[in-house]
Amino acid sequence: MIASADRLLLAPGVVLEDGHLADEVRGERWPLNAAGTFVLTRSGSRVGQIVDELGAAFGLSEAQARADVLQFTWLLNGLALVNLERRDRRFGRLVEWIALAARLAPSGAWPAAVASRRAVDTTTTFRSLATSLAAVWSRAAVVALAAALVVAQFVAVIGAAAAAYPLAVGLGTGIGIGVHEAAHVIALRGVPSAIVLHGRRLFVLHARVESNRRLTVALAGPVGAVAAGLGFAALGVVAGAPQLALVGVPMVAHALALTVACGDGRVACGL
Amino acid sequence: MRSLRAFVLGAVALGLLAYVAAAVVAFAAQADGRALDVSLGPLVFVAVVPNGSTTSATFGGGLALVALVGGAANLAAAALIRRRRPPGDRLD
Repeated sequence: MIASADRLLLAPGVVLEDGHLADEVRGERWPLNAAGTFVLTRSGSRVGQIVDELGAAFGLSEAQARADVLQFTWLLNGLALVNLERRDRRFGRLVEWIALAARLAPSGAWPAAVASRRAVDTTTTFRSLATSLAAVWSRAAVVALAAALVVAQFVAVIGAAAAAYPLAVGLGTGIGIGVHEAAHVIALRGVPSAIVLHGRRLFVLHARVESNRRLTVALAGPVGAVAAGLGFAALGVVAGAPQLALVGVPMVAHALALTVACGDGRVACGL
Repeated sequence: MRSLRAFVLGAVALGLLAYVAAAVVAFAAQADGRALDVSLGPLVFVAVVPNGSTTSATFGGGLALVALVGGAANLAAAALIRRRRPPGDRLD
């Protein structure tokens, strides 16, 4: 969903240069026409304001200007070249999303997801770790909460003695996502990169690297999460704390990312 | 070589996950002093048997079978993906 109050922003690492849109992560630049340049030079403005200004500058009706701006914005956002900053509260957005999903339900479609590209700094290992964790923590927290709620359903059947298990599974799920993406970014040290959240997808966008490095980067995510998970499991056994050992299980489940069911696995299998 | 890699990655992924999940479940059962028997007919995955003050845990051949099935499934899925690709896009 894109609202008139959303602010259009060039994504981190994307700049306007001499009538071209340049992406330093991909290492590519694309020419822009006059209307495209007009829209993108207003980076930081509200979408509704850009629609009004484009209509006035190019003599377009409001409907035509809105259609043009939205089509252009969706295209660039889908390519993770622009972000949309939302000022309204998360709860309000959730209510809007549910209302739109209910309207679209008869057609069997979901509201289109907006992509969000976040900067990561790959100059040092520490910066790679810190910036990638900062980029993914909100997504990791949501998935962790969902996992904990699912496990809580089973625990409700088992009994109160297992009340700590949903917490352990949620914690392991959240940490696993953070470690997985951080390991990819650490393996990309020195390579311009960004983390992109698009719907349920979460991936690292990076400059082209040679095939052996690409294989290493693909393996680093699942292997990092699995290693951390084995560490938690071993620590739990040594400490005599099954809950701590359980934290490691969702992290070890990242081993499934080594199969062709996931993008990392397809790269690792040479597909 | 790619087929071998697909098989090994699938086997490691499923085998490791099955083994760690079984170990944690067995450890939790052991800590609670409960017996546990996860098996499919004669195929044992994990079993925990309390014997007075001690407890014995057994990781059966079922876990190895999970790894083999995981490797075979990944190999088959990789072959399917390769076959469905347009000929001009094939790397092999």
